Amino acid sequence: MAMTAATAEPASADRPARKMPDRTLWLLAPGVIWMVLFLVVPILMMVYVSFWTQTTFAITPTLTIKSWVMFFSSDTYLSALWTTIRIWLIVLAATLIVGYPAALFVGLFVRNKTVQTVLLVLCVIPFWTSFLIRVLAWRPMLGKEGAINLILQGVGLINKPIEVLLFSELSVIIGMTQIYCVFMVGPIAFMMGRIDQSVIEAAQDLGAGFWRIFRTIILPLSMPGVVVGAIFVSVMVLGEFATSAALSGRKVNLLGNIIVTQVGSLKWAFAAVAGVVLTILMGIVVAALLRVVDLRKEL
Amino acid sequence: MAAVLQLSQVTKAYGALRALDGIDISLPDNAYISLLGPSGSGKTILLRVIAGFEAPDSGSILFKGERVEAVPPHRRNIGFVFQNFALFPHLSVAGNIAFGLENRELNPITDSAVVRARVKDIVALVGLTGLEDRGVAQISGGQRQRVALARTLITEPSLVLLDEPLGALDANLRTRMRAELRAIRERCGVTFLHVTGSETEALAMGDTVLVLDRGRIAQADDADTVYNRPRSAAVARFLNCYNLFEGQLSKDDFISPVGRFPLQGQKADVRGQPAYAIRYDRISVRPLAAPVTAEEVRIEGTFIADEYSGAAINSFFSLDDGRVIEVESHLSQAAPQTCVPHGRYALVWKRQNALVYA
Repeated sequence: MAMTAATAEPASADRPARKMPDRTLWLLAPGVIWMVLFLVVPILMMVYVSFWTQTTFAITPTLTIKSWVMFFSSDTYLSALWTTIRIWLIVLAATLIVGYPAALFVGLFVRNKTVQTVLLVLCVIPFWTSFLIRVLAWRPMLGKEGAINLILQGVGLINKPIEVLLFSELSVIIGMTQIYCVFMVGPIAFMMGRIDQSVIEAAQDLGAGFWRIFRTIILPLSMPGVVVGAIFVSVMVLGEFATSAALSGRKVNLLGNIIVTQVGSLKWAFAAVAGVVLTILMGIVVAALLRVVDLRKEL
Repeated sequence: MAAVLQLSQVTKAYGALRALDGIDISLPDNAYISLLGPSGSGKTILLRVIAGFEAPDSGSILFKGERVEAVPPHRRNIGFVFQNFALFPHLSVAGNIAFGLENRELNPITDSAVVRARVKDIVALVGLTGLEDRGVAQISGGQRQRVALARTLITEPSLVLLDEPLGALDANLRTRMRAELRAIRERCGVTFLHVTGSETEALAMGDTVLVLDRGRIAQADDADTVYNRPRSAAVARFLNCYNLFEGQLSKDDFISPVGRFPLQGQKADVRGQPAYAIRYDRISVRPLAAPVTAEEVRIEGTFIADEYSGAAINSFFSLDDGRVIEVESHLSQAAPQTCVPHGRYALVWKRQNALVYA
């Protein structure tokens, strides 16, 4: 009797174990195939092409590091890299400064779920128009004879239009902050909404004032939202080219703009080098952000 | 004994609902007070008003002799143990416990050695030694309960409010934590106000039992008095050990829908609805033909079912008007009458054991 029980057990324990890998395989296959074909292979291809030999009108698959040397010895490319990093950091900070209080309000102070949803939808309203229109709409707003300058002059605060508003780094930063802010607000508001009200009341009951509670309870509990939002904003800002093209009057060149120009003039190898640099930069940024908070533990 | 907390005529309404309807209580120093109320009686709101999370519409709250209605919760120094514990999920056990000392606005302790020593003391007091560095998600429900308590006690409040503190624990642990809570309170010498919906918990824990009914304090007495002499029919109903009959009081009888119950000099308490109450364990079950003495009241009922609970058997009988009567027979006293399903029996009790409300 004991013998049969002992032999029967492993057999029944084996069955579900044998079935699981099958299902795992089927569930993973579509995603893996898609990612390999359209992400891994193109990236490897890009790395490969960055070592090809570029002549003025042609590109040949003879391996060389000339494009890489060219990229890192050229002031134009290096300053584009630096501008990209600078604008990314400024926009990241700006979206955080504008977005965090908004998310705090929506996620924590608005306790009515319906109102919460309505407010979040309001944040998304700018996305009901196309990206290009949103970017171009800044021109009549910020221009020398744009709305802001006209109003300020009308009120009498200034007597000469502020020229730095449009076709400058400032206009690029204003435009990007406006577009990407919602990606910061969303994840933070989500994390705020998950904070149990009684946890905050408990902190209050133990004698902590609002700012203390904010620093010791609310901020740490909302950090995963900040990190997710920062990843969204970083990846999108680092790959940006349209906003800077439309609002800087070609004065601000990001890595994205370099890639567009190089591809336009059929300089595939240079474009590939810039592409690889950008990808590595994004990888470093995302990896660094993920170190701040263990998302698997928090979500 | 000095009163640590005094509420007079505290009211709080939500629209047309009067959640607190003129609450008057006075809690003595260094005592265990339990507050019994069914769900919806306003007991959580009362605690939240005392702690300062809600402002009363009118009335005064005196804490240690000072009015605190306008004082925000973080300046009151009244401890609050939440029903779901509300631990800080990102802090360790020690971090949770130290929170109040380090972060309170009045007189925070910045010396980490002092904080560590105080945490160590309180951890030993509530029996959590060895778990200081665990995350609060890595400990059991009973341990979380202790963390919640330790976190409050370390700030040395004069009054600790506990909102159904045992509600989230399983039955076994609940009984053990009861004794533990009482012991911890005695060691700290503070007043605990323990809110519960369970009559057994309220009676077992409180030096004084307050009974809350529809936003009013219906009774405030020691456990024995509350159990044996509930002040109103509503209190008797919450205790879950009285059969209640509505009806009218005449000169020598109580006229209920199932017949006249003769009285024997009972003084009727004049509060609320007229009612006649007889405790489950005061009724005996006899065959229909059995004789009845002059001091006894007898009604007839049809046996439905019984429930065995170890020390006692609870039997249920349906009367002629359809109501169900519960009888509790303690097995230590005598072997109870064995009842046949659907059989008719006489239910008999002594006149003087009944409570009458008019």
